[in-house]
Amino acid sequence: MLLDIVFNAFNGLIQGSFYALMAIGLSLILGLNGVINFAHGGFMALAGYLAYTLDPYTGFWGALIIGPILAGGIGYIVEQLVVRRLYLRDPLYSLLATFGLALILQDMLRTIWGAQGVPLSIPDFLNQPVSNTYFFVTGYRLLVVALAIISTGGLFAILRYTRLGVRIRAGNADLETISALGVNIYLLRSANFVLGIMFAGLAGILAAGQLGLTPTMGDELIMPSFVAIVVGGVGSLFGSLLGGLIIGVASGVTTAFYPAASEVVIYLIMGVMLIVRPRGLFGQEGLFE
Amino acid sequence: MIAEQRNKIVMGVAALLLLTVPFWAGYVGGYTDLASRVLIYALAAMGLNLLLGFTGGLSFGHAAYFGLGAYGTGLMLADVTNNTLLALLVGTLVGGLAALLLGPIAVRRRGIYFSMITIAIGQMFYFIAVRWNSFTGGEDGLTGFSRQPILGLSLNSTQFYYMVLIFFCLGALLLWTILNSPLGHTFVAIRENQKRLTFLGIRVDRYVALSFAISGVVCALAGGLNALLDNFASPDDLRYTLSGNFLIIVVLGGMRNFWGPLVGAAIFVLVQNYVSAVTQNWMTVIGLVFVLSVMFFPLGVLGFFRRRSRA
Amino acid sequence: MSLLKLENVSRRFGALTALNDISLSVEQGELRAVIGPNGAGKTTLFNLISGFFPPSDGKIIFEGKQITAVNPAALVKMGIIRTFQITEVFLDLTVYENLRIAVETAMGLNLRPWVSRGTRAKISDRVDELMALVKITHKADRVAGEMSHGDQRVVEVGIALSRSPKLLLLDEPTAGMGDEETNHMTGLIRDLNKQEKITILFIEHDMNIVFGVADKITVLDNGTMLAEGNAAEIAANPRVQRAYLGAAA
Repeated sequence: MLLDIVFNAFNGLIQGSFYALMAIGLSLILGLNGVINFAHGGFMALAGYLAYTLDPYTGFWGALIIGPILAGGIGYIVEQLVVRRLYLRDPLYSLLATFGLALILQDMLRTIWGAQGVPLSIPDFLNQPVSNTYFFVTGYRLLVVALAIISTGGLFAILRYTRLGVRIRAGNADLETISALGVNIYLLRSANFVLGIMFAGLAGILAAGQLGLTPTMGDELIMPSFVAIVVGGVGSLFGSLLGGLIIGVASGVTTAFYPAASEVVIYLIMGVMLIVRPRGLFGQEGLFE
Repeated sequence: MIAEQRNKIVMGVAALLLLTVPFWAGYVGGYTDLASRVLIYALAAMGLNLLLGFTGGLSFGHAAYFGLGAYGTGLMLADVTNNTLLALLVGTLVGGLAALLLGPIAVRRRGIYFSMITIAIGQMFYFIAVRWNSFTGGEDGLTGFSRQPILGLSLNSTQFYYMVLIFFCLGALLLWTILNSPLGHTFVAIRENQKRLTFLGIRVDRYVALSFAISGVVCALAGGLNALLDNFASPDDLRYTLSGNFLIIVVLGGMRNFWGPLVGAAIFVLVQNYVSAVTQNWMTVIGLVFVLSVMFFPLGVLGFFRRRSRA
Repeated sequence: MSLLKLENVSRRFGALTALNDISLSVEQGELRAVIGPNGAGKTTLFNLISGFFPPSDGKIIFEGKQITAVNPAALVKMGIIRTFQITEVFLDLTVYENLRIAVETAMGLNLRPWVSRGTRAKISDRVDELMALVKITHKADRVAGEMSHGDQRVVEVGIALSRSPKLLLLDEPTAGMGDEETNHMTGLIRDLNKQEKITILFIEHDMNIVFGVADKITVLDNGTMLAEGNAAEIAANPRVQRAYLGAAA
């Protein structure tokens, strides 16, 4: 019984890592670009499919590196064409526009790669479990958690120690001021958007290795990612990381006891959080009100 | 005034067209049920517009009330009664009650948080519908019911269309009356300047919750009619994708216009119908509709015309 | 009995003393100007009187009743109405619609999803009355957001008047206005006070208006009351001259 719970909790942790990576990207974009990016799931799936196509040429590791970069490139184009026109408008518009983009992405993925799922092959050695009792802890899953933590850590380092990072943080607080100080905010917003998309891309490739690729996979991950942001706290990247892991594990544990409620529990957590502590675990008071 | 006369003529023509749909639908490559769908979506969007366009509350989860209306009506006809109108009433009440109870929770926060709560509510109902197989039929949807005759009328497509038209008019009348009353004026003032109203002594969240509840009732009515149209209800009636569709319908038609949703619904349903018959990639087309209308047509069709007549 | 009385009122924000031991009374029917350099505490005074925050010390008495810690909404009901430096009109609505919502709120009708023809007429009459009072009837169908700043402020006053104020607080009513608009507003203030008999307390920087219109002037400087009196007395007061008007006055 205990093993059952641990098994499910660990599965939840992996799922939560995907939520966390998505949430971090979403949070970045929400913070600086002020956009609720409904297309985030689409980009995630796109990166997964790109990795699938690259795999025969670059191998898994190559695809893991190039995939997010390619997705980021497409994200840049989308930002230039569509998103940047919506910055100063009512959030409703960016929500609807990115929603539309999500539809387009999903359809394009289905058209190019087919409606059936395809697998992303991962190196054999990663499929081995690391222990016999904990058979479900495979090398690949450890990689997922490790990469989630490392990339988040890397992001923190970028934000803390690089010029780009400082500008992003300042821009989050007051875009107008840093613009007056001579920072090219157009470039900054594009860079930030691309960075956020790259996180989605990473999530997509890792998820593909675990769950396989379907055109609708983005759909399934986007909502919990929003929940992760709300639970962790809007405006806090660490909160997004933690939020994602928490709801992932909560959902996993619920599966051990009452599988039918495993998705609902995520939204219940969000509902409770919004009523009891709306700024989330690490969020800032009064943001976006 | 020229504008007023023109408006009257347009309304008159539109009313005439709506009243005679079953006779001309076939000639333009359509069919009566399609028109029923337009009116149903228009009704739902008008309900949403009360909250969105006129009170300023961005709800991304209004399909929840639509879906509850659909399931409520369907379940009544499947398990409880043969009375179509009773089933519709119950469905409407179920959805309306949900909006009445959940609205006050949502309005405790503003802005993005408000939207997120509405999404969460919608998702919860969606997953309940999917998982509660025995009661709702799960992913496959609720079957085993169909609209029953009323007063000896079999409610075939044509007769059902007129039934939908009647309810559409009733719903529109309700909304029109409210919007032209002090309550409606208060809603609009909230959209315009919440702060000012607070300084005049108004408890803004109570009014937003009220707007939320009324819009939920109207959406639920539309959902019930939808279930009667298809003789089917499914979790898709609760999904955020449907909520998104309602939103784009409101924006397409013109957010601040009373009849905007009707125009938007006509465009949306017709495009969706004709495009899906022509290509596999209708989803891309719909997506493009979202993106392009937001980028170039944010005022919507009626908003665009209103601007021109004002200037 | 004075309409409004402040007794030894102070307000501190941490280490900063914004208002120090202010005592003043405003009589029914007065037209009182509050002047002083920037940072003198004028807006803080208004905030205290309209209930935004309570004083740190002292008492505020309105119509003989203590209102020291009463919230703004309750004060609105008691008849203390204020306008803001930054106009808060409903931008996408017409002048008529702006005043209509104010009137409906004043009549307590906000929850009504339907009103009788008689009530509709009453509302409409009151809106017409207000528009005539602030002389903006000819612009009834103009959208507030498309009007000049001066016109918006006139609409603001109209909204304030919908509550039939006993004490009207006008925060820099002519700020940002050109000559013509300033004249309109000044005339409006005078008419509201002399003809409609509304007690008005207003903050102003334009000395021409202050000396031309006010019955009595209260001068604040650095949180303390420097002087109080009619136009002649204030103009002649050396301390006021030094602090505010400059020696050339």
